[in-house]
Amino acid sequence: MPSLRSRPSLRSTITFETLNRKLHYYLGLYFLVFMWMFSFTGLLLNHPQWKFGEFWPQRKETRFEKAIEPTPAANDLDRARDLMRQLNLAGEIDWPDRQAPGRLDFRVNRPGRTNRIGVDLARRRASVQQIEINTWGVMSVLHTFSGTPANNPNAKRDWALTTVWVVAMDALAAGLLLMVLSSYYMWYRLKQEATLGGYRIDGWRPQLRLLFRRPDVAAVESRLRSRRAASRSPCS
Amino acid sequence: MPKGLYIWTRDLHLYLGLFISPFALLFAVSVFFLNHGRTPVDAATARVAIHDLRVPLGIEEAQGMERVHLAAAILAQVDVTGEINFIRYVSKERRLIIPVVKPGVETVIDLSVEARTATVTRRRTTTWETLSYLHKSPGPHNAAIRGNWFWTRAWRWAADATVYLTLFLSVSGIYLWAVLRSERKAGLILLVAGIVSLGGIIYAVAA
Repeated sequence: MPSLRSRPSLRSTITFETLNRKLHYYLGLYFLVFMWMFSFTGLLLNHPQWKFGEFWPQRKETRFEKAIEPTPAANDLDRARDLMRQLNLAGEIDWPDRQAPGRLDFRVNRPGRTNRIGVDLARRRASVQQIEINTWGVMSVLHTFSGTPANNPNAKRDWALTTVWVVAMDALAAGLLLMVLSSYYMWYRLKQEATLGGYRIDGWRPQLRLLFRRPDVAAVESRLRSRRAASRSPCS
Repeated sequence: MPKGLYIWTRDLHLYLGLFISPFALLFAVSVFFLNHGRTPVDAATARVAIHDLRVPLGIEEAQGMERVHLAAAILAQVDVTGEINFIRYVSKERRLIIPVVKPGVETVIDLSVEARTATVTRRRTTTWETLSYLHKSPGPHNAAIRGNWFWTRAWRWAADATVYLTLFLSVSGIYLWAVLRSERKAGLILLVAGIVSLGGIIYAVAA
């Protein structure tokens, strides 16, 4: 039976343990479909030879030309945004390494659709090549869609939905980190309980011992229950 | 509720989870660099010239994996190991540009077939770059030659195993959650919230 002095710390340990366990499975449940999506698309990216996941050979390409209004914008980014508005396009802007004089060339990307836009500023005409890919392609692109390739120091995200997607990916990564850390804590506590549960464990061997001789789970659970009951009773 | 099944599922969830946890940490941590990081453009490089190389016959004409196998003979002579990426042949100058990558080092071997010399440029990558290289490896590009280094094949196996085990952990996790009656409602709400969030974002981004 714990002493009165040790009870507040025991209570906080049990509270932390409960919160930690809840955090582990609540995060797991919230991010379940995210995790499945990234797991599956990770497999697709690592196995481009899988025929069912092919998307590039099945792409659909269309082209059109349209007259454009001259844009008063001062820089290329604003000019491109104005042109996108005129062409009714939305997505992340991707710039080529250099622009030819008298032209404004850029791409507008979103998962599933790429638009290659070439504008002849003197003739005030824009030619648009649209490439659409199938659902497998959309899934694969989502896995890598960040708007800022690491090897392009000048790239900046300029579409709000790219930022939303990046935040979702960051949240999944942070959630996964927390899940792993919470699982380490649960394992650590289980190890302690296993020690209390009846067999000796020393040094770095507990994992191996646990692998070969499973702990008496019922005994550990019963011990936890009685400790919780003891911590809840007003005087003991 | 069969107690044996519950205990086995819980143990497998725990120990398989612990087993893949370093891989899960790597894949999770590297996401931050992939989303927000920048490869340093002024990274320090070391350059050395190596002469009197034995250039394998037919390396200029060979294509795909055949060329990679011949290039491997050059790698052995210049003391470079790693995964060979797409080899570029500059026919006018009879030069082969052989990029070689492994975690921590990026190397480019510029081989002059006629002079039998090679300039080897090495760049040590940062820890973040190394983690993101592992995250992206082997990846979808250059499928015909990918896995020409033993450790890339081993990593592909490890990355696949991480995915399969993650799927097992999520399914076993659902089972372990389902037996906790008091948590069903809150869990179900979060599960639906996750599905709606992902569906909503994908619809907005891709539709």
